[in-house]
Amino acid sequence: MKKVVTGVVGNDIHVVANRLIDISLQARGFEVFNLGVNTSLEEFIDAVVETDADILLISSLNGEAEGWCRDLQFLRSEYDLKDVVFVIGGNLAVGEAKESDIIPKYKSYGFDLVFHQVDLNTGLDVLEKYMSELK
Amino acid sequence: MSKLLIDVGSTYFKVCEETNITQHFRDFKKDIYEDLLHKCGDVFSRYKKEDVFICSSANGGLSTLIIGLTNSFSLKFAKNIAFNSGINIIDTILYSKIEESKVPLELIDVVIVVGGIDGISGVFDEKLLTYLQKVQYSNIVYVGTVQDANYLSSHIKSLKVLGNIITGKLHVNELELKEYLTNLYQADIVGKEDIKHLYEFTSNQIYSTPYIVNRSLPLIDANFEVVNPFIVVDIGGATTDIHYSRDLVRDNILSDSEYDRLVFKKLGVYKSKETLVFAAKNNEFVYELLAYLNVTENILEEESEKALRVLMQLSIFLVLYKVSRLNPLYVTLHLELLKSIVLTGGITKVLSYAEVEAIITFFYKKVMNLHSLPTIVLDYDYAIWTLGMKNNEHKEPKCL
Ligand code: B12
Repeated sequence: MKKVVTGVVGNDIHVVANRLIDISLQARGFEVFNLGVNTSLEEFIDAVVETDADILLISSLNGEAEGWCRDLQFLRSEYDLKDVVFVIGGNLAVGEAKESDIIPKYKSYGFDLVFHQVDLNTGLDVLEKYMSELK
Repeated sequence: MSKLLIDVGSTYFKVCEETNITQHFRDFKKDIYEDLLHKCGDVFSRYKKEDVFICSSANGGLSTLIIGLTNSFSLKFAKNIAFNSGINIIDTILYSKIEESKVPLELIDVVIVVGGIDGISGVFDEKLLTYLQKVQYSNIVYVGTVQDANYLSSHIKSLKVLGNIITGKLHVNELELKEYLTNLYQADIVGKEDIKHLYEFTSNQIYSTPYIVNRSLPLIDANFEVVNPFIVVDIGGATTDIHYSRDLVRDNILSDSEYDRLVFKKLGVYKSKETLVFAAKNNEFVYELLAYLNVTENILEEESEKALRVLMQLSIFLVLYKVSRLNPLYVTLHLELLKSIVLTGGITKVLSYAEVEAIITFFYKKVMNLHSLPTIVLDYDYAIWTLGMKNNEHKEPKCL
């Protein structure tokens, strides 16, 4: 069973999507470690290390993810995490923003999959496909 | 027959009979047993050994080295459990940095190794073994993933293996480790020459004082004018302890314990006076604070009654400052949610309510920018400690 660490990054308290993500991932057969809202990037990485997770799925709704995720590459290199798939989704910018700007930016921070204002099930379908192609 | 309760601190003895509590300044030229006999010999003669209960914080406590996989889980959980078990001296090593980590020079009472949820394996390897060969320790306990237990047991002599403190949901499981550390602490107290003799006064187990205070916390709001969430600040001669409701922290530790403890080793008013003064002088608010108290910096070097009062006020301020948002390196308590501050320890015998209120007012105004204060409760007669001691009598003594 693939293990996923999930939660909402930074000072973000939007909890509804987080609950849905937890339920949907379980329904799709993932083992879920949900850190809930208000989670720091370091806590995410540490949870991945403690659980030896396959996927880190971060969500951000209030638009402040950018400020919290810049250190991802640095933290990722502290531990040997090259096999972990990094995913982020939700509202990834404040106000109007073009997907074509947002996606490359988050990829440069070290995310493998980036979903800006993409419906959850569509995103999780892409994730499952991505995982099966990795094998 | 009534009970006799004794607390042996680093600076004072407290003696509680029926409802009357007296305290005696310690004579450091005598050992604890002689000093106690000299000061309270006649009191002891009135009680049977089974009616005498003693706790002690005079032995300094255990030193601990925690080696853990991550800061947010392994190290944080283990540190939390260690503090709650009454341990004061804690050093931590992040496992990924173990090769660059310093080896402690002094003998460590207990090394704690932790990492990983059950089900994962290969967390620990030769790096740990190589490091441990350089460390001098008396005990070592493993509380990480069960899959690594065999490997570690076969390479580390007398390794004690207990249940993982990290649950399958990344929550904390503190019971087994807490019991183990508390028992070690008890064994340590009993082993110390100074304390060993005290068993001539009592046939009951001698406990550590922080353990006793911790036991009383769930009963405090029923017994005092205290509203949850609250903190208990115990300013002593050598250390200052703070016990706090978990409602005041927002972190990912999900635990059954409602109260946690923190220790400030360097904020006592007698034995660690120098470090207290040093911390005060380096605090950004100190000049404003001294002016507010109508004194000058010179007071910190004086040996007067007034100087002692100011030092005690400073220690209240510094403890609150250290757990506030201004000092993110320590545990941050949401002091804006705080409903009551309870002060206990020698401080309540020296400071008046007005003096305590003055310093807390300054803290809330200047640091928190708030105009309403939590209610302040002074535990003048050590009722918290008495409550913990009495609550403890009903417990079967644990075998060591
Ligand atoms: C309810 C709500 C609140 C509640 C939250 C209550 C709670 N505890 O959950 C309250 C009132 C507290 C709140 C506060 C704020 N909010 Co608000 N809030 C909303 C609101 C109305 C609904 C959110 C919701 O629950 N939706 C239902 C869930 C199921 O949908 P969702 O969150 O959009 O998630 C879906 C997708 O995004 C996706 N998804 C999410 N994560 C991931 C991850 C992956 C990998 C994938 C594939 C998909 C995915 O899947 C979900 C299901 O499809 C939205 C507006 C809206 N209609 O969306 C604003 C909204 C999210 N809030 C917003 C803002 C700005 C704030 C505040 C900053 C307002 C303020 N100035 O104070 C604060 C921030 C507080 C904080 N510290 O986080 C903005 C964010 C703007 C941006 N990013 O550009 C929004 C979009 C409103 C707006 N249009 O301006 N908010």
